[in-house]
Amino acid sequence: MRRHAAALVVFGAAALAPLAVRDAYFLDSLVLILMWGALSAAWNVAGGYAGQVSLGHSSFFGLGAYAAALLGTRWGISPWIGLVVGAALATGAGLIIGYLSNRLRGPYFALATIAFSQVLLIVASRWRGFTKGSEGIPVPFRPGFWSMGFTEKAAWLYLTLGVALAVYLVQVYLEASRMGYQLAGVREDEDAAEALGIASRRLKVTAVAISAALTAICGTFWAQYVGFVDPFYVFSVDLSVLFALNAIIGGVGSAMGPFYGSILITSLDTFLRAKLSGVAAGLIGIHLIIYGCVLIVVVRFLPQGLAVGIGQLVARKVRVAGA
Amino acid sequence: MAALPQLLVSTILLGGIYALIAVGLTLIFGIMRVVNFAHGEFLMLGMYLAFWSFTLWKLDPYLVLFVSIPLFFSVGLVTYFLVMRGVIGASHNVQIFTTVGLSTALQNLALVLWTADYRIVRPWYGSVVVHVGQAAFNLAQIVAFAAAMGFTLGLFAFMKLTHAGRVMRATAQDREAATLMGVDTDRVYRLAWSIGIACVGVAGVLMSPLYSTYPTAGLQFVLLAYVVVVLGGLGDMAGALLGSVIVAAVEVVGAYVFGTAWKEVFYFVLFILVLVFRPAGLFGQRGAETLGV
Repeated sequence: MRRHAAALVVFGAAALAPLAVRDAYFLDSLVLILMWGALSAAWNVAGGYAGQVSLGHSSFFGLGAYAAALLGTRWGISPWIGLVVGAALATGAGLIIGYLSNRLRGPYFALATIAFSQVLLIVASRWRGFTKGSEGIPVPFRPGFWSMGFTEKAAWLYLTLGVALAVYLVQVYLEASRMGYQLAGVREDEDAAEALGIASRRLKVTAVAISAALTAICGTFWAQYVGFVDPFYVFSVDLSVLFALNAIIGGVGSAMGPFYGSILITSLDTFLRAKLSGVAAGLIGIHLIIYGCVLIVVVRFLPQGLAVGIGQLVARKVRVAGA
Repeated sequence: MAALPQLLVSTILLGGIYALIAVGLTLIFGIMRVVNFAHGEFLMLGMYLAFWSFTLWKLDPYLVLFVSIPLFFSVGLVTYFLVMRGVIGASHNVQIFTTVGLSTALQNLALVLWTADYRIVRPWYGSVVVHVGQAAFNLAQIVAFAAAMGFTLGLFAFMKLTHAGRVMRATAQDREAATLMGVDTDRVYRLAWSIGIACVGVAGVLMSPLYSTYPTAGLQFVLLAYVVVVLGGLGDMAGALLGSVIVAAVEVVGAYVFGTAWKEVFYFVLFILVLVFRPAGLFGQRGAETLGV
């Protein structure tokens, strides 16, 4: 149970929050923290656990967002079905990207994933007849469970909390299961893992496909929550970088790392947006300058991530002081 | 087929500019084994340099060109010492996210300093059209092409003829052997990085009269430059030149046949196909990519 203490505290606090606070702005921030945390954790399944660093995960996010929005606005189909369709499409796309990961390594793979998301971006923004092109799709609000129209922020909070927990558990499974150990072996030394009879190719493809499906599910929820799908946002490179940024700054090695990253980054982002929107809207990107620099420092000096790295530093200090 | 001469010359003019962006990227990769994900941001900075010099001091972009070479070389030196020096020889992931972090920081620095507005430099020659036979061209495009080719060929000559160039090529071929021969590899990396940044900065200045300037302006072109360098074989400078012409041809012909809206799809699909089937480039050695070279 000790292993999950941090998760219990974070997710438990989120679950209790609506009972104590009714402030819509605060609850909205929590929803976004959990949503981006879940997305970064989904990225972590491929980028961290399987070692397949993708810079094109917005492909899957966009597929999830578009699948539900298009099915809903064109044929009046429930976003829950859109969610399944989006996840299925993303799994297909994940299989393609996973296949690429077997042929390409390091920067080549990262470049291929960027190109993949750009192709989807162009299709979504230019195929006006089907996707409404660059205008994007407003998602109409229809109250009710079946149409994913929740008026209460608390309902959204529990929904995203459920997703976040699910992605967390997938990561925990990857830490302590046969598949997880095999993936770690492939990540650390693929040739050695192959020599031990591990089907490394199939494993990597599976991990990327799972990561893709989870990302798409978050994409659907995000689109329904925000109420608008803009191709230049949902398929952007910036978004793919953000998923990775949360996970790396929080800590790629641990299941809670991406959530810590999201707590840091999302809360500051929403805070600055609210504070600076009127007087100094031009300063809105200022935290991203800092995060870019932090990313450079973290990958070099604290490869386990900020949270874990600082924890270890403190532990060492304490040990030195104690001895 | 009446459009053929126009398409041909458009391809060559466009390819020449792409070459200058790509040649810096491939030089950095060839010698440092680092894919610079922040390359586009230096292009954007070059475009802003031209824009502000023109707006504030009425300086013509082509005059700024001469200032931009030492300026971006220095920017390269500073970023090398602050950021890149520590990650030479580090794992792929560390290198990828170091340059991604640099890209995020620079892009948002531009956003905060200069807002997301689209800026346009309009010197007098920006609207001059030159007619050659049936084809018509923008004068700024011709000058940009000529200058870009001049710089690219100058870089080739530098790599081929000077001692420093020979040392750089030797390091690219075999890092350890070069170290054993007494090559100061740190100096070689520093030079390669700074020259690469100077090239793309100059390219930004040259492109400023042709394209709008905004904080994410670099992305579009750097994606294109990745296509170019992978086509030509990452690290292969002559390949980058040929790759530029191929990408420009795909863009120009694609836009002519299917309309401008879909032109990018062609080179991204081409990119993925090349990555899958010939990742070492159209003319490169097979297997280079799986070695992580």
